[in-house]
Amino acid sequence: MTDVLASKVASPKAVLAGVTADHTEGMSYLQTLPRRLVTLYLPLSLILFVLLFPFYWMAVTTFKPNEELYSYQDHNPLWIASPTLDNVRKLLFDTPYPGWLLRTMTIAAAATFLSLFASVLAAYAIERLRFRGARAVGLAIFLAYLVPPSILFIPLATMVFSLGLFDSMWALILTYPTFLIPFCTWLLMGYFRSIPYELEECARIDGASRLQILVKIILPLAVPGLISAGIFAFTLSWNEFIYALAFISSSENKTVPVGVLTELVQGDVYNWGALMAGALFGSLPVAILYSFFVDYYVASMTGAIKE
Amino acid sequence: MFWLSVFNTLLYTGVASVFKFAIGLYLALLLNQHMPFKAIIRALVLIPFIVPTVLSAIAFWWIFDSQFSIVSWSLRKLGLIATNIDFLGDTWNARWSVIFANIWRGVPFVAITLLAGLQTVPSSLYEAATIDGATPWQMFRYVTYPLLTPIIAVVMTFSVLFTFTDFQLIWVLTRGGPANATHLMATLGYQRAIGGGYLGEGSAIATAMIPFLLAAILISWFGLQRRKWQHGESND
Repeated sequence: MTDVLASKVASPKAVLAGVTADHTEGMSYLQTLPRRLVTLYLPLSLILFVLLFPFYWMAVTTFKPNEELYSYQDHNPLWIASPTLDNVRKLLFDTPYPGWLLRTMTIAAAATFLSLFASVLAAYAIERLRFRGARAVGLAIFLAYLVPPSILFIPLATMVFSLGLFDSMWALILTYPTFLIPFCTWLLMGYFRSIPYELEECARIDGASRLQILVKIILPLAVPGLISAGIFAFTLSWNEFIYALAFISSSENKTVPVGVLTELVQGDVYNWGALMAGALFGSLPVAILYSFFVDYYVASMTGAIKE
Repeated sequence: MFWLSVFNTLLYTGVASVFKFAIGLYLALLLNQHMPFKAIIRALVLIPFIVPTVLSAIAFWWIFDSQFSIVSWSLRKLGLIATNIDFLGDTWNARWSVIFANIWRGVPFVAITLLAGLQTVPSSLYEAATIDGATPWQMFRYVTYPLLTPIIAVVMTFSVLFTFTDFQLIWVLTRGGPANATHLMATLGYQRAIGGGYLGEGSAIATAMIPFLLAAILISWFGLQRRKWQHGESND
């Protein structure tokens, strides 16, 4: 089962940027333009509109002055009459937001690095060391990925408390790998499997140790896999919410998602402009990372791994 | 209270999963066609899945605002409704609102994963079917769907698992309100354990989710194996 899963689900990122299997133009040229308008472009644009509208609304709200924000009679809410940076300024200078951003980035980077390191070792061992029960371990790791954080946070909370990590960065850096490692291991197992055995055999004959094989043969070939696992892991830890909500209490230690939700909402007065600005700037880093790496990932995946 | 949350969770998961599957499959079929700016459109589709759920949920919170909802405003301008809709204040409105937000977030994942599956279907099969005089529906039913079943099973398992244990969306949008109408098992567990300080009670609620999850995994597992056998492949 893990084979099927790894081969079918790990690939969407590649597909996304237009790597098509044997799909050339297909038979779409047989359809006339008006027909395509109704069957393809109209529903597609409708779905895209719904999917992207919240982001447009987020951006519009961010740059709106308050008097426009709350008077739909005088202003068209879909557009900004006089754009302003007030909300952004408020967010950056009157709240601990920049600190949260920095902190989230540090935590996400550290957790990603830690998980990648552990996952490389685990995935290589499961795929190539051929010890008894390797498949069972692989399956167990996959099942661990299916156990969601909303079940795990209570046992982890007691551990975090008894280790004295509560309200520190380490609480998150050490708990995020609980869902990152299974995910990365499972992704990397698929990549390692696609690297031919023969390369390792050659290296063995030339006298390389296991560690040298891993570092000098396998890892360079698995760079696209490492990058995609890394991006996924970074995004997952950036987006994580329940652990950050449960394990962090002081305002300046919070991560972006938790901080925006708990600190920017004061009492009954919602400052929607600043809230939306917080949401927008919290989303941008992952969106940029995603758009920037999609191409690289696809190019290297089609180039390096395929023999 | 607990049984109410079980009911809510089942409703939330059931409705959201059906819609995610239907819209996701439809979107995947649309995206699989040849069109200009294909790569950019596909990249855009995935954005709701990439950005932090909490932050997009905050955007939905603002969209569902009782006074300044843009949806209410648009519908009023179009003359469809007379007064603002109270999205998150009314029992059933709140349920549909959170389900909608969940579908919005889940569709990209389903669509892009199914698209990955669709692209492994060779176009020669469609050409053969066309020559045999198949209608588009028949092509979907007898060519696309059977080849896609294993991926559908996997994607929907994931989707059901993560919908069932969802926490973030509910916590941002309603915190389980109004009158516990949208409390899921995950949010109730959190509220009891961390909010109320009853760690044991919270764990009990969280543990109660496991049988449901196991059932979902087993159903898809056996569904998958049956398919493999039908395709004449060896079991492993």
